Amino acid sequence: MAGETPIALHDVSYSYGKGARQKQILFNISTSVQAGEIIILTGPSGSGKTTLLTLIGALRSAQQGSVKVLGQELKNAREQTQIKVRRQIGYIFQAHNLLDSLTISQNVRMALQLSQFKRSEGRQRIREVLERVGLGDHINKYPGELSGGQKQRAGIARALVNRPRVILADEPTASLDKQSGRDVVDLIQELAREDGAAVVLVTHDNRILDVADRILHLEDGHIRSLTEAVSEGTSRMLNLLEKHDPNSASYLATFAFALSRVAYADNEVSDTERTEMRRILQDVAHLQDGEVNFIMDISMMQKRAKAELGNQNVNSVFDTDRKKLLIDSLYAIARADGHVHEEELVEIRAISAEFGLADPSRESTGPPA
Amino acid sequence: MFDFMPLGWLQLKHQKLRLLSAILGITFAVILIFVQLEFREALFVSAVRYHSALDYDLVMVSPKTEYLISSKEFPRNRLYQTQGMPGVRSVTPIYSRLANWRNPIDRSRSRSIFVLGFDPADRGFARILTPQAHEKIKTPDQLVFDRLGRDEYGPVAELMAAKNSVSTEVNDREVTVASLYAIGTSFGLDGGIITSDLNFLRLFPKDKKSAITIGLIHLDPGEDPQEVQARILSDLPTDVLVLTRQQFEELEIAYWNNTTPIGYIFAFGAIIGVIVGLIIVYQILFADVQDHLPEYATLKAMGYTQGYLRNVVLQQAIILAVLGFLPGLGLSILLFDQGAEATRLPLEMSRESALQIFALTVAMCAGSGLLTLRKLRGIDPAEVF
Repeated sequence: MAGETPIALHDVSYSYGKGARQKQILFNISTSVQAGEIIILTGPSGSGKTTLLTLIGALRSAQQGSVKVLGQELKNAREQTQIKVRRQIGYIFQAHNLLDSLTISQNVRMALQLSQFKRSEGRQRIREVLERVGLGDHINKYPGELSGGQKQRAGIARALVNRPRVILADEPTASLDKQSGRDVVDLIQELAREDGAAVVLVTHDNRILDVADRILHLEDGHIRSLTEAVSEGTSRMLNLLEKHDPNSASYLATFAFALSRVAYADNEVSDTERTEMRRILQDVAHLQDGEVNFIMDISMMQKRAKAELGNQNVNSVFDTDRKKLLIDSLYAIARADGHVHEEELVEIRAISAEFGLADPSRESTGPPA
Repeated sequence: MFDFMPLGWLQLKHQKLRLLSAILGITFAVILIFVQLEFREALFVSAVRYHSALDYDLVMVSPKTEYLISSKEFPRNRLYQTQGMPGVRSVTPIYSRLANWRNPIDRSRSRSIFVLGFDPADRGFARILTPQAHEKIKTPDQLVFDRLGRDEYGPVAELMAAKNSVSTEVNDREVTVASLYAIGTSFGLDGGIITSDLNFLRLFPKDKKSAITIGLIHLDPGEDPQEVQARILSDLPTDVLVLTRQQFEELEIAYWNNTTPIGYIFAFGAIIGVIVGLIIVYQILFADVQDHLPEYATLKAMGYTQGYLRNVVLQQAIILAVLGFLPGLGLSILLFDQGAEATRLPLEMSRESALQIFALTVAMCAGSGLLTLRKLRGIDPAEVF
């Protein structure tokens, strides 16, 4: 079975309830996860991401489409097949779901005894996996004696002890503080890479999105493009800032604008420049860490956009249609007050030149009506 | 791969207070069952104390007799009639009645007592009375007293040990206790005295010598009691009953079990004990399963089967049964020692009844476990996320 795609979803739909009260949760989901790949599933509550996770995990039977996990078709699968698949999957739960009456090593053993191991080998394996997640000194403690982060790591040890080829994680950082949450996802990432497992991770936690090879955003049961989701989220946050703290908003915007113009004037930002910029923003301007990151990130985005255009790489991002669209949009804004001023025309030409775009006004007779 | 990891036990052990209360509850139920069943058993054993202590092969009683203490009279001649029949070796006519006994220390206190009278030359009381006692009751107004009777009759045994004879009144007639025997009490019987037929008639001057209440029949060696019984019954009118030892005992037990509510009450008490135990165990197991539902759902998500979870619950049920039974057994033995002393009833823990009640306890706990399984069936592993 080597080389086979561990998780393959094709046109999966799912509904709860029957008849008039039937509510469709998932619509035509198709995707696949390769060995060693980490997929993060995001989306608001009720978007269907947990349902999707339970379908992949053989905890629910798919109704339409095809759910193939480790080569087994799970659509309308019998319980025996489901159980067989469940045993090959490592689950990491939001609330760790350890058995309170068992020690950490006994908890791990609950997972291990589902597969065939020799007794001594099993002991060895439990010790190894617990040491690997940093719980070597807590093997015989009960979950009640551990911190939240330690419990979650014990849960990870339990999920990984059978070296599963598929790992499913549901909000693994939800109950953890920032540092523990980071440690936990780093651990999942590291172990998944080592064992070459396919990982699906459901999360609300934006701080851990960077471990993903790919992000699937679910909304109302549909997969939505990430750009859409990110821009919507970001604009919502910026509007929020504008509404509640207009001073900070304009302060930050000004900083970002100024910084990007000066720093990227030569189209190059060296590491020293970057460090210096951070220092100034922190020490001189007394900005918070988050604000510094925000300014730096916006500047970087602008720099990247410019650099790609400047490198004549325009076609990759801006094809002819998009170029036209951008310029048209600029004209539309200028025309919004009913009249196109000369200053506005000058600015549009400046922008076009700066980004290396041809001014379509010379090609056409004027802005489209 | 590993030694068996008893999840059910580990879960029980983890909540020590709950485990303790479960054990106490089951212990209570076990004691309840033990006491009820053992009292019932004691009732039956004690009710046939005389039946089993007397020496006879067949017994003749009146058809109106329901139980020993209120044995009805029948003509003594009916008993003598059997003497000529083949297989019958000898007979012993016995007079019996309740008399009024006065406490030898405080004569103002009196209590009814069971009196048996027989001819000391006849066979039948060898296992109850010593040969010396047989001799002594030939003397007028001398009798033998049951030292295992209730304390209300007075400290007769102690007085005997000190003075070798005790005087008191029976039916307002001055009598002397010349010796002691040991039979014990039962539900209808507080104590007893045995004396000669002549002394018996002195205590009951209005009784006719020709009317007796019990007739013992001894057979020639090697005779089959049932064959002789059939012969006797076919030759005699139906105004008497002839019973084997077993039938005689069954008659007595049937009275206490069926005619009086006593047997029923104890059986009912035992059933209540089982129900109480069932409810206690069910409550405990149900609460335990309820608490562990998320954990069980997790186990199902990991790939454990429904059968595994069922075994966990049944394992807990059996463990609770054993842990609750053992202290219940111990405490019951203690209680029986106390109770036997206080009531002079034959309260003993037999191996059979202990095993029986252990089986009952296990069945009780397993039954509760099975009730709890319905809760388990609803577990949906998809709910863990």
